[in-house]
Amino acid sequence: MVKVFILICVIIISGCSKQETTSPDETTPSTIDTTLVIGLIPERNIFNQIERYEPITGYVAEKTGVNIKLKVLTRYGNIIDNFVSAGLDGAFFGSFTYTLAHAKLGVEVLARPQYIDGTSTYHGLIFVRRDSGIKTVKEMKGKIFAFVDKATTAGYLVPLFYFKEHGIDNYRTYFKETYFTGTHQDAIYDVLNKKADIGAAKNTVYRRLADVDKRITKELVILEEFLDVPENGLAVRKDLDVSIKNNLKEALLNMHNDPAGKSALRDFGAEKFIETTDNDYANVYKYTKEINLDLATYDYINE
Amino acid sequence: MKKKIIIGLSIFSLIFLLAGIYIITTIETATAKLDNLITLHQVEILREHLLINIKRVQSDLNLKSTRFARSIDTVILNVRNMEKMADKCFECHHSEDVLERLSELRNDIDKYKDALSRVFTIRANTGRLKAEEDSAFRTGENLITKVNNMISIASSKLEKKTQSALGNIADTKTVLYILLAIGPPLAAGIAFIFMRGFTRQVNVLLEATRSLKEGNLDYRIEGLKDEFEEVAASFNNMAASLKEQMYKMQRTEQMVVLGELAAGLAHEIKNPLTGIKLSMEVLSEKTFTSEEDREFILKIIDEIKRIDSLIKSLLKFARPPKPNLAVSDLNEILNDTVTFSLKHPSLSSKTSTSINVLKHFDKSLPELMADPMQLQQVFLNLLLNAIDTMQDGGTLFVKTSYDAGENTVQIEISDTGKGIDENAIDKIFQPFFTTKPKGTGLGLAITKRLIEQHGGAISAENNPGGGATFKISLPVKKEGKNL
Repeated sequence: MVKVFILICVIIISGCSKQETTSPDETTPSTIDTTLVIGLIPERNIFNQIERYEPITGYVAEKTGVNIKLKVLTRYGNIIDNFVSAGLDGAFFGSFTYTLAHAKLGVEVLARPQYIDGTSTYHGLIFVRRDSGIKTVKEMKGKIFAFVDKATTAGYLVPLFYFKEHGIDNYRTYFKETYFTGTHQDAIYDVLNKKADIGAAKNTVYRRLADVDKRITKELVILEEFLDVPENGLAVRKDLDVSIKNNLKEALLNMHNDPAGKSALRDFGAEKFIETTDNDYANVYKYTKEINLDLATYDYINE
Repeated sequence: MKKKIIIGLSIFSLIFLLAGIYIITTIETATAKLDNLITLHQVEILREHLLINIKRVQSDLNLKSTRFARSIDTVILNVRNMEKMADKCFECHHSEDVLERLSELRNDIDKYKDALSRVFTIRANTGRLKAEEDSAFRTGENLITKVNNMISIASSKLEKKTQSALGNIADTKTVLYILLAIGPPLAAGIAFIFMRGFTRQVNVLLEATRSLKEGNLDYRIEGLKDEFEEVAASFNNMAASLKEQMYKMQRTEQMVVLGELAAGLAHEIKNPLTGIKLSMEVLSEKTFTSEEDREFILKIIDEIKRIDSLIKSLLKFARPPKPNLAVSDLNEILNDTVTFSLKHPSLSSKTSTSINVLKHFDKSLPELMADPMQLQQVFLNLLLNAIDTMQDGGTLFVKTSYDAGENTVQIEISDTGKGIDENAIDKIFQPFFTTKPKGTGLGLAITKRLIEQHGGAISAENNPGGGATFKISLPVKKEGKNL
């Protein structure tokens, strides 16, 4: 019995030793004791976000040999704080949070998903209940407006552009009440459920919810649509190891060519990841410029 | 007996098989019930875990705005654990009704998740925030109430099922104890009855053999069954055969003694008798003998002749001459003897003419090795007896035939006379038994001995229509073979 135990130990030890001496040239990535913390913005129900992104990050972790830990944030703006305080290495940024993080922290965008319908962008919407009778900005006066977050393009930036375009200098006094739902989904449902009169959210979430809840198409009406901006893409801190950065980018951009990657993409609901650069956020920069918003000094904390 | 043993063993095996099947089935059933109970208890534990998880999340919600608030990572982990626990409920097989309730519960959990997500993400004025928190809290409380109700209903059902299962197991245990208690005595009882039935019959056989050993040849076994009945029949046959052989041996010994006695008597009596006879003859021829005395002397001479004849017969019976075997044609011997018997001087002419003779000789009768003189003596004796019983006439039927199966020649001599007295029919072949006033009682005894010397057998029976038939069976022996 003791001999068998010793033999098993020898086999295990020799097996471990062999693993440690694996050549770096081998295609299978060596286990690097590196853990990346990737943040997720509360685009949807925060309790579903990890489940949604796990197939993608799981695949990338396997391909790159880097451990990836997901961290769900309850606010869009938290990403900016967490990069510093919680030590995030990267995040799936919304378009506005990316431009903020890029301006404040210098994060570098790597890739963003292209969905099965071929879109890789979204745009902001302003909508009301069909039975509310609101059709113009004038009719919005004294009503309740539901934003998403101060650090979202569709949920805050474009409504500000909209207000400015329509001569509303101070929305806080123009409306009876404004608040931040935290997610695009809640902004849509708050209007649908008459918690708010007017809402702002991204069209992709609106469409996805409309597909499963027919009340949205039937009872809501879109008053305004804005310019396309890039979908939530992965951006990493500027001082991240270049090789890791490249590996991450390569894994994401090529995953649609790999059956395992394809399966992960299918679970995520995307066709593939496409390369993304700062130039792709031109429309976001345009909106910030239009409303004279200084990204470097912008206070993204919700009121 | 063999059949009984097979049936007994089959019943025994069947009882054990049935008992075995019953025990295995009951153990399987009890195990299945226990498994089911364990599963139900696991489900119960699962529900309670779900309840704990919901309460933990609810606690996260309550602590949200306090200094004891847990991190969002912990809250997310707790919510995910709650979800996983709820999903586990779907892994079991459920009835449609339960599945519907579980789906409803799953929807409530999703609503609770949405409400919680909203509470943790919304940024609004205090009133709105409080309303959202209250809404999430109420959703959580409703969920807790529902799960509690489910646990309560399930616990009640589980309690009943547990009691039922434990009752069943107790019943099974009782039955097993009873089986255990009655099984061995039952088996022993059956074995005892079976063995007693077996040994009783063997004891009867042993008793019979002991009795036989002690010389009781009349002992017969009765009341045995099955194969023992056959053994008993064989035993009885053996005893009868032994008795017959013993009787024959005794007879043989008697004959030997009789032969010696007869020889001695013949020697001792014959010579003086011859002297007496001669003296009487001389005396009868004397002139001084009156006619009256002569008549007496002649009667004495006749009686002396009769005594002489008796002594000769006695000698013949006691010491029969060995058969002088020769190839013999039985039909011819019989035919000649019939012709001779009808002309025998002892018969009156009236009797001879009133007898109708029917002959039925088998022409394919094989020749056999026999002593023609002795056979002639046998046939003559039987024929004269038959004719003697038909003083007023009748039919004499003589028949020969061949039995290929037994390889014997059969001879039948029938008459239509008075027949044989039923009381005497078993004794007619015994020596000195006679129904005739002047018979010696040795004729049929000598006949039987001569036939037996040829390896044959003789029997007699009355005909249904009157008269008697004597049947002789003689083996067809090949030339050169000794008798």
